[in-house]
Amino acid sequence: MNRMRDLISVAVAGLFARKMRTALLLLGPVIGVAAIVAAVGLTDSAKGDLKRKVDELGTNLIEASAASSFGGEDAKLPKDAAERALTVTTAESVSSVLEMQNIIVSPYEEATENFETVPVPVLAADTALPNVLEVDMIAGRWLNEFDEGARSRSAVIGIGLAREFNVLPGEIRSLLLNGLEYSVVGIMDNVELEPGFDTAVFVSYAAASDDFLDDAAIEDDVVLPNKLYVRSVEGREDDTSEALKVAINLGGPDEVQTELKSEALELAAQSDRQLQLIVVSMGLLAIIVGGIGIANVMSISVIQRSGEIGIRRALGHTRSTIAGQFILEAIAVGFLGGLLGVAVGVAAIGVGVWFAGWVFTLQPMLVPLGVLLAMVISVVAGLYPAARAARLEPLETLRLG
Amino acid sequence: MVVDPVEPLLELIDVTRSYGHGDAAVAALRQVSLRIMPGDFMSIMGPSGSGKSTMLGLLGCLDVPTEGVIKVGGIDVTSLPDNERSRVRGDRIGFVFQQFHLIPHLDAASNVGTALLYRGLRAKERHERALAALDQVGLSHRHDHRPVQLSGGEQQRVALARALVTQPSIVLGDEPTGALDSRNAEHVMELFASLQSPERAIVLVTHDPNVGAAARRRVRMRDGEIVEDETVTVAVP
Repeated sequence: MNRMRDLISVAVAGLFARKMRTALLLLGPVIGVAAIVAAVGLTDSAKGDLKRKVDELGTNLIEASAASSFGGEDAKLPKDAAERALTVTTAESVSSVLEMQNIIVSPYEEATENFETVPVPVLAADTALPNVLEVDMIAGRWLNEFDEGARSRSAVIGIGLAREFNVLPGEIRSLLLNGLEYSVVGIMDNVELEPGFDTAVFVSYAAASDDFLDDAAIEDDVVLPNKLYVRSVEGREDDTSEALKVAINLGGPDEVQTELKSEALELAAQSDRQLQLIVVSMGLLAIIVGGIGIANVMSISVIQRSGEIGIRRALGHTRSTIAGQFILEAIAVGFLGGLLGVAVGVAAIGVGVWFAGWVFTLQPMLVPLGVLLAMVISVVAGLYPAARAARLEPLETLRLG
Repeated sequence: MVVDPVEPLLELIDVTRSYGHGDAAVAALRQVSLRIMPGDFMSIMGPSGSGKSTMLGLLGCLDVPTEGVIKVGGIDVTSLPDNERSRVRGDRIGFVFQQFHLIPHLDAASNVGTALLYRGLRAKERHERALAALDQVGLSHRHDHRPVQLSGGEQQRVALARALVTQPSIVLGDEPTGALDSRNAEHVMELFASLQSPERAIVLVTHDPNVGAAARRRVRMRDGEIVEDETVTVAVP
C-alpha cells in the first residue's frame, strides 16, 4: 500500500514539476474526449425535444386495423374485436373506432358547398378513446354512455377542426354531417401519436349506425369497427402486437395488421447516426494522435530524465518501479485529460444548445467512458517510454569517474 | 546493520570485466580480487583508463562482471536477478557522485527521501529520517531548498545525506570533491572522515592525491589491475 502511495506521489510530483510538458501531454486526450462528447451530445441534443416527446407519450400504443384481405376494400374487424383484444393479458386498455367514408362536414348549411371538396375524417368511436390515447379535452366532454343509449347526434371535434370552424371553447355550436345537425359537445386536444385526429369529427356508434352506415357495416345491430387502439404493458409491445393479430381475428393472423404508433416518432427522434459516427471517428482519430503525442513527449522525457532515472536506479529502485512511475504518469495524464475533455465537451454542448435552442441531452455513460478511453490510450502510449526508461542502465547515465 | 566483523562487507573474487566480444573484447578489469572490511576508509586511485570507473560500477552493483564473483555481505550478487541486486544495492550501498546527481524538481529533504522510497515507510517517517540525515551533514536548515538554490558544496552534502539516510554498510564516493572548490572539498572530506565507524566502510574512487591520501587504506590501479593495496597507520589529512 505504502509502496503504491510512493509510486503515485513520485508520478504526480513528476507531472507537477514540468507543467508545460504536462500541458502538452494533456492536449491530446482533452481534444479527443471533448470532440467525442460534444459530437454525441450535440447530435443527441438536436433531437432532444423529440426524444422528450417520445418519453412523454409513451411507446406502448398499438394500432390494430383490419387488413384489406379481411373483407375486400372496406375491411372491418369483428364486432367484438375490443373484447377479444382485452383477452390478451399484456393489453391494458382498448378502444375501437370506425373510419367512415364520404361524409361531408360543414360548419353551417351555407358553407356546405365549400366543404364538399374538403375531406374531414368522421369516425364512430367508443367511450374509451381519450383514455386509451391519453389525451385531454380542451373543452366540453367526450362521447358517453348517454350519447350511445339515447342515440343522440353529439359530436366531438379535434382541436385543428375547431380552429378551422372557429369553434371557441365553451361555445354552443353545431355542425352538419351530410346535412344532419350534430351538437359539438367537446373539443379534443392535439393527439401527437395520431395527428389525423386533430381535424376529425367523432360520433357515437349509435348515431353513426342511424345516420351513415349501411347493413354491411352492421352485424346483429352492432357496428363493425375497422381499427383498435391498444395500450400494452410497457416493454411487451412486440408480444402484444403479435398476440392481438391472433386474438382479434381468431381465423388467423393475416387479416389484422398492427403498428406501434410511436415508431415513426422514435425513428424521427433518433440522432443522425452517420453524422455522429463521422464526428466520433474524428474524435477517436484526435485521441489516437494525442496518444502518439504522449508517446513522443514521454520518450523525449525519458531521455531528458535519464540522469534522474540513473540515480533512482543507483538508490535501489528496481526496473519495475521505474516503469511503474512512467505508467502512473500516463494514467494520471489520461485521467486528468479525460476529465478535462469531458468538461470541455459538456461546455461545447451547452454553447451549441444555447445557440440553436435545442434540449440539452447528455448520455451519462459518456462521462466515465470518456475518462476511461483517455486513460486506456494514455497507458498504451506510455508503455513504450516506460519500458525504455526501465531498460536504461544506470552506468550509462551516471557518467562515473 | 550488524555484520560479523571478520566477514568482508564486499568482496571481489577474480573479477574480470570485458567490453565487446571475441577478438574485439577489451578487458577493463582483469582478475581483480579485493576485500572491503568493516571500518575500512579506502581510496582507489589511478590514472585515467586504469579501470577505476569499472571498479566503482562493480563495487556499487551497478554492473556485473564478465567473470568472477562479487559478494555483498556474503551474498553473491552476480547471480542475482536485476531486481534483487537493486534491493541489495539500495540496502547496503550509498553513493556520492562527482556531479551530485540531485533531482532538480525536488527539495533537499525530498532528494534525500528518494533513497527511502518503496520501503514501506510513511511519508512523514521518510521526511523525518531525511531531516535527520541532513542534520548529520549540517544542512537541516536548508531542507526545503531545491538544488538550484544550493551551492555546489551544499549540493554535495545533500548527496552525502542521501547516501547515508539508508544507513548503508558501504559508502562509495566517485570523485566526491571533483566539482568543488578547495574550501568545500575540504569540508566534504571532513564529513567523510567523520563517517568512519567500525561497522561501515568508506570507499573513495579518485585521481586526486589529496583525497586519496586522506584514506588509511590506499588501493592503486593501473591497466585494469590492482598494483598496490597498502594500509597506513595514520591517515594524512
